[in-house]
Amino acid sequence: MKRYAYYQSCINESMTREVDRSIELWQHDLGIEMVKLHESTCCGGSNLDYVSPKHFALVNARNIAYAEKMGLDLVVSCNTCLMTIRSAKKKLDESPELKEEVNGILKKEGLVYRGTSEVRHLLWVLLDDVGLDAIRQKVKAPLGNMRIAPFYGCHILRPSSVLGRDNPLEPTSLDLLLGALGGSTIHYDHKNRCCGFHTLLVAEDESLNVASEALQEAMDEKADCIVTPCPLCHTVLDGYQSKALKKNGLRGSIPVFHLSEVVGLALGYSERQLGIKRHIVTG
Amino acid sequence: MTDSTMQQNEGKREVTFRVHRFNPQVDTKPYYDDYTIKLEKGITVLRALNYIKEHVDPSLTLRAFCQAGICGSCAMRINNMSKLACTTQVWDELDKAKEPGVIKVDPLRNLPLIKDLVVEMDPLVGKMQHYSNWVESTMPEEEWGKKEFLVSGEEFLKYDKATDCILCASCVSECTILRANREYVSPAVLLKSYRMNVDTRDASHDQRLADLVKDHGVWDCTHCYRCQESCVKHIPIMDAIHGIREDAIERRGVKDTSGARHAEAFMDDISKKGKLVEATLPIRTNGVGWTLKNLLPMAVKMVIKRRTPPPPPLVKASKGIETFREEFREMSGHVAKDHEKQSGE
Repeated sequence: MKRYAYYQSCINESMTREVDRSIELWQHDLGIEMVKLHESTCCGGSNLDYVSPKHFALVNARNIAYAEKMGLDLVVSCNTCLMTIRSAKKKLDESPELKEEVNGILKKEGLVYRGTSEVRHLLWVLLDDVGLDAIRQKVKAPLGNMRIAPFYGCHILRPSSVLGRDNPLEPTSLDLLLGALGGSTIHYDHKNRCCGFHTLLVAEDESLNVASEALQEAMDEKADCIVTPCPLCHTVLDGYQSKALKKNGLRGSIPVFHLSEVVGLALGYSERQLGIKRHIVTG
Repeated sequence: MTDSTMQQNEGKREVTFRVHRFNPQVDTKPYYDDYTIKLEKGITVLRALNYIKEHVDPSLTLRAFCQAGICGSCAMRINNMSKLACTTQVWDELDKAKEPGVIKVDPLRNLPLIKDLVVEMDPLVGKMQHYSNWVESTMPEEEWGKKEFLVSGEEFLKYDKATDCILCASCVSECTILRANREYVSPAVLLKSYRMNVDTRDASHDQRLADLVKDHGVWDCTHCYRCQESCVKHIPIMDAIHGIREDAIERRGVKDTSGARHAEAFMDDISKKGKLVEATLPIRTNGVGWTLKNLLPMAVKMVIKRRTPPPPPLVKASKGIETFREEFREMSGHVAKDHEKQSGE
């Protein structure tokens, strides 16, 4: 059983609780264990870095240092947390002065940030550690009857200088995983585009336009559902779906699944067990 | 040996350019023309398009000048990505082509189309003017030309990368928010504004910043990083956008715009609980009235689905929060000292 320090994203503890619930269900089936980091704090959500760059470095050095203390990699299941914590790690690793300043404060709780633990998305762990062959062997209910629109979201791809796992212009990681789960994916322009989440409360009209364009393209391409590795993208594409489509005079609906839910479906768990009934769009 | 094998062996291939065409004087809607030509390895997309214009179809319209990646005139979308035609190798694009041997060429997005591959740059120039993106000198006019206006190396480093911008508008074409609303300031303009605002010779900083935080300004950026990823000069454009935001919070406080209030909420919540209190985030960002008007119908759906974020008292603080708060406060002390040091310089 390979173990990981699991970063608890704020949104997965509030609005999208089904993400952690589904991972807990199937993790041992795939030979992995996510050890929840109860000490972890909010990463700053792509905001703290400009409100106070030094606090941003401190909180994320602390998040990573707890994983280092356990000798484990830090695994994240939210794209923005992934990008944010990896950005902080890059800054810390490139600046001995910043690292020293932060470590001077972290010694209060006996922590040291060294930069030894990797910060990885759950999707990357499934691909690189568990492996597609091992996943294929565990599939009990292939996703074959679904035509899936993969929606990668921004912060698992860009900036590529911080993420670097996928080609941001032609990402394949999510398609590969969905293929191993027995699904067939469609190619469409919005697979690597933005969902509009980060301006929902600041420029709502623009965000809804961004979301409706993505939803419309997936529906035009006759997709049965959208799958995303990011709970923020899910919140927009599922929670704001009817509002976004209505604003732009569009009709229809399309279910949106978390990555962790479709893994669970393929491994034989029910929609109810995985928390899929909690989605706003259920048909 | 067949002709095509011989050509490939000699580094030659037949390549099809599927080019966007539209002449508003005669066409009712845009269409694509396919031009298939034999090319040698090492040819750029611009040279190929110029060959087509000179030898195949003189009506094809494109804009280009320096052919060396300096003037920024020949930006266009090649295989669906905005870039300079003069620095893009045909062979590299063949590797990325969705249809073997076919390179798709389109005009930039988010700017009005004039003809074929040429877009109108005036909206971008207009925004540059709107935000006064030039140095308004702090030196009295009577001293101009009489003494040097020195900028230290350290001062220049703050905007060194931003000065690499050649105004090609690739970032404008790729911008998510501009696609959703043409009124948006746009990444190239934000980059230039940042460059002017950190210039120690400039006197317009406060007015420019006041304009940047208004509607359709710096707070509307959705952090998608498409601008940065498409920049032909590899300029970290998001650093500039975040730089303006950091400056706005420092100089103008955290209460004057919804963007600043939203960002401050993260700082506040982390300092108290280590966790974001999502239930009150809309109210803290936009007030009660906006929240009721815009989010009430969705809140009802979320209650039915038991998806609502927990109310503030039920948000569980991170384990070890007491020590974390002390650490957070200690860092606040460091930041205060940094500010004192900077203002003393």
